[in-house]
Amino acid sequence: MPERTVSIGSKTGLHARPAKLFVQAATKAATPVRISHGEREVDARSMLGVLSLGAKQGAEVTLKAEGDQAEATLDELAAMLAADLDAEEPAETAAAKPVDA
Amino acid sequence: MGEQSSLTELLDVSAIDLGARAASKEDAVRACGDKLVEIGAVGPAYVEAMLERERTISTYVGEGVAIPHGTLAGKDAVVRDALCYLRFSDPVDWGGEEVTVCVGIAAAGDGHVDVLAALAQVLMDPEQAAALRAAQRPEDVLAALAPREEEEVST
Repeated sequence: MPERTVSIGSKTGLHARPAKLFVQAATKAATPVRISHGEREVDARSMLGVLSLGAKQGAEVTLKAEGDQAEATLDELAAMLAADLDAEEPAETAAAKPVDA
Repeated sequence: MGEQSSLTELLDVSAIDLGARAASKEDAVRACGDKLVEIGAVGPAYVEAMLERERTISTYVGEGVAIPHGTLAGKDAVVRDALCYLRFSDPVDWGGEEVTVCVGIAAAGDGHVDVLAALAQVLMDPEQAAALRAAQRPEDVLAALAPREEEEVST
């Protein structure tokens, strides 16, 4: 299954505003995405699920998806997680690359 | 994880109100802020930071629960990390969602990420979430939020 591992870029971690924006994007995505941190894996469309990961800035999380749109969806969501979503006006092009491939 | 304070360490009995009332989302956020001020966890400026955060993005997390907290700019007003727990007698309209419980958060560092993770895990557990909803007294809330011992699972 295609996957991406990224470090959380937002100062406050994957929480509050960054988590909300991520969940909104995952909900709109063409294919369901799972997100995991440590031993916990949840549906990326669930705000509670994403919050339950407790991923702080710098924490590595892994995204997984299947289907035709998986690669593009994962690229988009991974870039979001790597960016600082707490910045009031996130720069579209400033998204960092995935940690590994 | 684990080095940070647990939910029950941050939530004092005096910060639990099971009969709160609010006419609007703003009212509810202000009630959370006022409670955090009342218990000495934050200065009055934090209440404005909470309202500002809520205007920027909803803190609704699901299961009828919202988690109002301040913006980064409000951190200076935090005296100590703490939570408050307000249950509303009548549901509060939260941008189309119905909120019955607000967990207000005062946090200066990133310890609240662990706290939120613990709270989310409780809300995702049907048994613990039901116990929380059924709480009649503040002590019941604390019991429902307490970390689950693996031994409790009968075999």
